[in-house]
Amino acid sequence: MSENLTKTVASTPLTWIRRAVQTGMLAVLGQWSFYGIFRCPFPVPFVDCRVCPVITCWGRITSLFWGFWLILPISVILFGRAFCGWLCPGGLVNQVIGRFSFLKLRIRNRWTRIAAWGGVAGLATALYLWLGMGNPRSMVPIRVGEFWNSVTLSFQHATPFWLVRTFVVLGLVAAGFLIANLWCRFACPTGGLLELLKRFSLFRVFKTSACNDCDACLKVCEMGARPDEPNCTNCGDCLKSCPVDAIKIGRKRV
Amino acid sequence: MGNKKNTMGRRSFLKAAAATTLAAALAPKRLAADQFRADSLHVWSCGGLSEAFNLANSLYEKKTGIRIAYTGAFAAALGKSLLGGATTEVFAGRVLKLAKTLREKNKMVYFRPLCFTEYVMVTPKGNGAGIKTLEDMARPGVRVILPLGASPPGGDAVMGILKKAGIEKAVLKNAIEKETCVVKMMPQIISGKGHVSIVERRLTRMAAFEGKVEVLPIPETLFPPGPLTFTIGVMKYAKDRALADHYVNFICSREAQAIFERQGFIPADSEKGRALIEKLGVKDV
Repeated sequence: MSENLTKTVASTPLTWIRRAVQTGMLAVLGQWSFYGIFRCPFPVPFVDCRVCPVITCWGRITSLFWGFWLILPISVILFGRAFCGWLCPGGLVNQVIGRFSFLKLRIRNRWTRIAAWGGVAGLATALYLWLGMGNPRSMVPIRVGEFWNSVTLSFQHATPFWLVRTFVVLGLVAAGFLIANLWCRFACPTGGLLELLKRFSLFRVFKTSACNDCDACLKVCEMGARPDEPNCTNCGDCLKSCPVDAIKIGRKRV
Repeated sequence: MGNKKNTMGRRSFLKAAAATTLAAALAPKRLAADQFRADSLHVWSCGGLSEAFNLANSLYEKKTGIRIAYTGAFAAALGKSLLGGATTEVFAGRVLKLAKTLREKNKMVYFRPLCFTEYVMVTPKGNGAGIKTLEDMARPGVRVILPLGASPPGGDAVMGILKKAGIEKAVLKNAIEKETCVVKMMPQIISGKGHVSIVERRLTRMAAFEGKVEVLPIPETLFPPGPLTFTIGVMKYAKDRALADHYVNFICSREAQAIFERQGFIPADSEKGRALIEKLGVKDV
C-alpha cells in the first residue's frame, strides 16, 4: 500500500493531450469496441467484421474495419505500442479503472517480468481460436436492436463457450481494481501482438546511458513500465520524471 | 394601383406558399401519428428478417412519423425469450409452431402469414464444378461447404434436404468445411474455396453477396416444412392495439411485401405465397 502514497499520476501537458486524443478515439472506436465485447457473436472480435451478421456494428457498416487494420500496422512501425497508450478505448477504460486500483504494482521483480508476457499468451489463445478453430460463431446474434436490450439478449442466447470468453475478459478488466491496468499489462492479445512488433518501430521513448535505475519513471507509469521495456506504450508520461534527464523521445541510436 | 391592391403581394404569396409546403410536409405524419395514443412501437423479429424489416420500418416511419424500436435476431432466439419473460408489442417469428405456441400461451393476440423462405444451391461465379442438380453435390471431388454448425433451423434444415434426397452421406464426405454461420460462409463460396453450398435465397440478396454467386434451384419437395414459414402477430403487451394493427397491416401490404420479396422471401400475398399458406396450414389457431 505504501507505494500508493507516492505520486503516481503524471500530469504534464503531454498527458493532457493524450487524454484528449484518447477521448476523441473513444468517439471513433468506442462503439466498435463495445460491440466487440458485448455483441460480437465470434469469440475473437474485430477480425471477421465484414462477414458478421450484426447489422448495426460500425465494424461492419463503416470502413472503420479497414481503417483500423491499416492504421494499426502503421502506428507500430512509427511508434511501437503507442496504440495502447494513445488510441485504444479499452486502454482508456483500463486506465480510468487503474486510478482506483488497490495495487498500482509499479515495481520490478521476477513476477512482473514474467507476467508482462501474458499478452503474448493472450495473443496465442486468440490466434488459436481465430485461425485454428475458425472463430466459430458462439451465440445467436442480435442483429439489430436497442442498446441495452440487445446486450441482455446477447447474453441470454450465448453458448457457454461465449459466456466463458466474455466473463474471462470482463473479469480481467475488473481485476484492474485490484492491480492497475491488469488487462492491458498482462492479458490483452492486441497488446501482446504490438509488444512483439514494437522492437521494429522507428520512434520510441527510451533511456540513455545516463539512467541510474532510480525507477522514478516506473512510479509515474500507468503500465508499471520503464521506457523501451516490456509494456512501455510510448505514452510519454515519464518524459519529465527523470531526475538525471535520461529519458528521450525519438530515434534511438543503438 | 387599384388592381395591385386586390391581388396578392409577392411577400404574401411567398408566405402562403411556404406555409402550404410546410403543412403538406407535416400533414401525413401528423394525421397518422394523431390516430394513435403511442408514438412508438416495439417490434421483434427472428430468423433472418432483419434486412427486410430495416427497410420496411424506415418506410413506415417516413409515412407515419411513428418510431419503430426494432430488434432482430437469427434463429428462434427472440421467440424463446418471449416464451420466457420477455415482452414486445409486435413479433415476426419463424416456424409456424412458435406462433401457435405463443397464441396458446395467450402471449400473442393473433398472427398472420408474413412470408416464406426457400432453399437454393450457391456456387462461385462461373460454376466451375458444373453443378446442375442437388445430386451433383455428391459427386466425388466436389468441394462442399455446409452451414451445419449454424443455429437452428440453419444446419438442421440443410441436413433435412440432403437426407430427403438420400445423398447426405456422400455429400458429407465431400464437405471440406462445416461452418457455424451462413453469413460467414458465403465468402468461402464466392472465393471458390468451396464449389457449392445450400443456403436460403435471402442470403443471395444481401448487399454484400448479391450478384457474386450463381444461384441454382432445389426441388421444393425436398424442403423441410418447419422453417419455411414466417408469421407476424400482435402481442398482448401492445400498448396501443390500433397502432400495432396498423403496423401489421402495413407490413402485410403490397408495398411492404415487395420489400420482403426483393430481399429473397416469398411474400404471403403472392400467388405462390397463398399456395404455401394452404399447403402448410398457416392459419391462426
